[in-house]
Amino acid sequence: MSGVKLTWKDDLVAALLAGFVMVVLVATVGDLGYARDEGFYFHAADSYRRWFELLFENPRAAFEPKAIDNAWRVNSEHPGLIKSLFALSNLFLQKKWHLFAMEGTSYRFPGIFLAGAGVALVHRWGTEARGRIAGLFAAIALFCMPRFFYQAHLACFDAPIVTMFLLATYCFWKAMREGGYRWPIATGLAFGLALDTKHNAWFLPILAVAFVALCLVRDRLTGGDMKETLPRGVGGIARLVRAEHPTLKRALAALGAMAVLGPLVMYALWPWIWRDTFARLAAYASFHLNHEYYNMEFLGRTYWTPPMPRLYAPVMTAATVPTITLALFALGLAVRSRERIQAFLRARAGKVARREGGETDLLWLMAIGISYGAWVLPKTPIFGGTKHWMQAYPFLALFAGAGVSWLVSVLRVELRRLKAANVRRFARGPAAAMALVPVLLAAPIAETAGSHPWGLSNYVPLVGGAKGAATLGLNRTFWGYTTGAVVDYLNREVPRGGTVYIHDTAWPSWDMLQKDGRLRKDIRAVGAVHEAEFALYHHEQHMQGQEYQAWVAYGTVQPAHVAGLQGTPVIWIYRRKGR
Amino acid sequence: MKWPRVALGAFVALGIVELAGFFVSSRRKPDFADWAALVGPMAEERKQGELVVVAPSWGEPLARQALGDEVFPLRDVARPDVSRYRTALEISALGETSPELSGFRETGRREVGPFVIRRLENPSPAVVVFDFVDGLGPAQASVRTTNPEALCPWTTNARVLAGGLGGHPTFPAARFECAGGPFFSIGPTVIAADEDFRPRRCLFAHPPARGEVVTRFSGVPLGSVIRGHGGMYWIIERERKGAPVALAVRVDGEEIGRWEHRDGDGWAAFEMPLGAHAGKKSATVEFFVSAKNHAHRHFCFEADTR
Repeated sequence: MSGVKLTWKDDLVAALLAGFVMVVLVATVGDLGYARDEGFYFHAADSYRRWFELLFENPRAAFEPKAIDNAWRVNSEHPGLIKSLFALSNLFLQKKWHLFAMEGTSYRFPGIFLAGAGVALVHRWGTEARGRIAGLFAAIALFCMPRFFYQAHLACFDAPIVTMFLLATYCFWKAMREGGYRWPIATGLAFGLALDTKHNAWFLPILAVAFVALCLVRDRLTGGDMKETLPRGVGGIARLVRAEHPTLKRALAALGAMAVLGPLVMYALWPWIWRDTFARLAAYASFHLNHEYYNMEFLGRTYWTPPMPRLYAPVMTAATVPTITLALFALGLAVRSRERIQAFLRARAGKVARREGGETDLLWLMAIGISYGAWVLPKTPIFGGTKHWMQAYPFLALFAGAGVSWLVSVLRVELRRLKAANVRRFARGPAAAMALVPVLLAAPIAETAGSHPWGLSNYVPLVGGAKGAATLGLNRTFWGYTTGAVVDYLNREVPRGGTVYIHDTAWPSWDMLQKDGRLRKDIRAVGAVHEAEFALYHHEQHMQGQEYQAWVAYGTVQPAHVAGLQGTPVIWIYRRKGR
Repeated sequence: MKWPRVALGAFVALGIVELAGFFVSSRRKPDFADWAALVGPMAEERKQGELVVVAPSWGEPLARQALGDEVFPLRDVARPDVSRYRTALEISALGETSPELSGFRETGRREVGPFVIRRLENPSPAVVVFDFVDGLGPAQASVRTTNPEALCPWTTNARVLAGGLGGHPTFPAARFECAGGPFFSIGPTVIAADEDFRPRRCLFAHPPARGEVVTRFSGVPLGSVIRGHGGMYWIIERERKGAPVALAVRVDGEEIGRWEHRDGDGWAAFEMPLGAHAGKKSATVEFFVSAKNHAHRHFCFEADTR
């Protein structure tokens, strides 16, 4: 189960995968309403777009501190890179070149592009480390995780940080594996892009340092590549570097590049921090370290203050990621662990043991661990969505790919044992993989296709699907995006100039539905049930008071319209009596 | 080695089982359209005043959509508890039953497509003599504040106000309006009163800055106790930062009980024996609500005498 040297054909497959992902996402984006956070980012992107327009017209004016601050102050609690891409995409792809049928798609396209790039990168890494079957399976398995599929559509940071985190980790792996100067520089640049994407990137240095430390411990225990004993202290490390200890030398190059280039890239691409840099960075960090609480239902109870239940992240992963993918992850992890432990024990015994440059398995496992780690800490604020540890999913998929690769090798062995020669010949070539992989991907593909456009309501059959999850008391939706699923009803039933209470839908998200032409422009959004003729209700346990407000205001408990997934209500609408 | 072969078979089987599981779970009845099939059978089964409960509870909006307000009147949907109901019909789907009705006896069942309608009987239903939420209105009730002494006039065309996202419950058009704005009105509303966020119909009775707000009912027939619940919007209460709210009950001028609601109590019950007043054909009952600090005290209570 070793990797292969990449050829142009692998690059072609990766490009085709990325293209396929983007085509599917763009083709399905029109069914999906706008999430609450997207609305805020539309607003920010519009502000940044105006600055870019000024930059192109009058650079001197654009670089005036006042112009920068006015434009980039908006949503300055998040870094600027991805919103800049939203802005530039809207400016060029939509306003200048009119590429998309809907305005909102132009904001979403950078996220879609990065999701495609992420899937392609998983293919590349999986192929390079574990072979072509593993790479291809891992890429498709990631795309066929329903929650990732949902997030991949959005003008948000969650799919982009998955890709940026993966990219930085990949570059770091290459730097550790191959040395030289190109990959450390790439690592630093990728880390900078990740820093300017989302604060999940803060975990990358921890990952890298901890990984290097473990590698050094491993070297100390096994004698390392040069069969030397790791000396103690700073002086010892300096002697080690001079002695060209490869692990440490490569690690220092990569970590040094991360330390230098990462902040520089972030600084260069986020005009907001060009002035008052440290104060503004401190405010940014403080916002996330002291984040306001969210409400999240888990097993029938809404949590809102730390600590989150320890089982929350693992249970939600098991409830939302296709079970076969998780089982293959476990298999891949077991198979790889067995191999690595055997190699470690051989090395400890002074025997020749096969080493893998970059310590791929350890790095992947640590990337998963660090992505989940924050969710078991007692003081982590309640966030709740599976998106918060989603940067672990490519690594889950990569291990799953390793598991599939191993299963294919087992199938080939079994085929070779068969007496019938005409069947035995399938042991060679791609036939075994072509027979096995579709069986293993069928359920993830079906679940992902079936989840749209209700991605956050989707649960795997292990918990009984959407109905089972509702019965268990798992969160049914959040972010108010399912308004997009009831636009047909609103367009049909709301009288001309009528009013709708939009509940959890953000105002810019509602506006974008109207700009898209998906929702009639004469329908007016209002912020309170009593001002409206129709009231939306997006179900979340802690928001049920909203529904009760409509009951009393309209004198009815009878919804006029209910929509949802697999017979499970997710959004419903009340209509004022007599309207 | 045998186990790799076993693992191969197991993973193939898991892939197929999960795919089958997806089709089974995603197509499992009832679907949205199925709930309409309940209209006829429920019209045949339901007797006037019978409580209708849906299990699992997430199906209730679909049942309400199909069956309407007649089968699901607000006072039943937002009930204080089930103690007063003699019988209930449970619409059961997916084999689920309502925990709320676990003490009831099944006396009949009927299958309707993917549903089972169960007729359930309460072994010891309470006989409610008078419901104070139902009784709120100018015919039997009046509201005043004590500091300053002022009457709160009744109106039927006040501006309906809903708090919006995270805001106060809806203040209905028909209510007693006290000085200080709509928060200081007494009227029936529905709140999400505890950790389960279940609907509870109750009288919104925000304590005033000073003194008490007094809701007075006259001509009330009495049972042996006054029983009720109190609480407030859980999102406020769960912070556990507010002052306790005191509720005192007087019958014909005599205080029969005093109860305190503290943040975190949720939808908490109280019961006050009527003693010598029990069984009176007509009495005056007064509810005094106050708090030492009235900030964010969206208190709401319901009561009956039984």
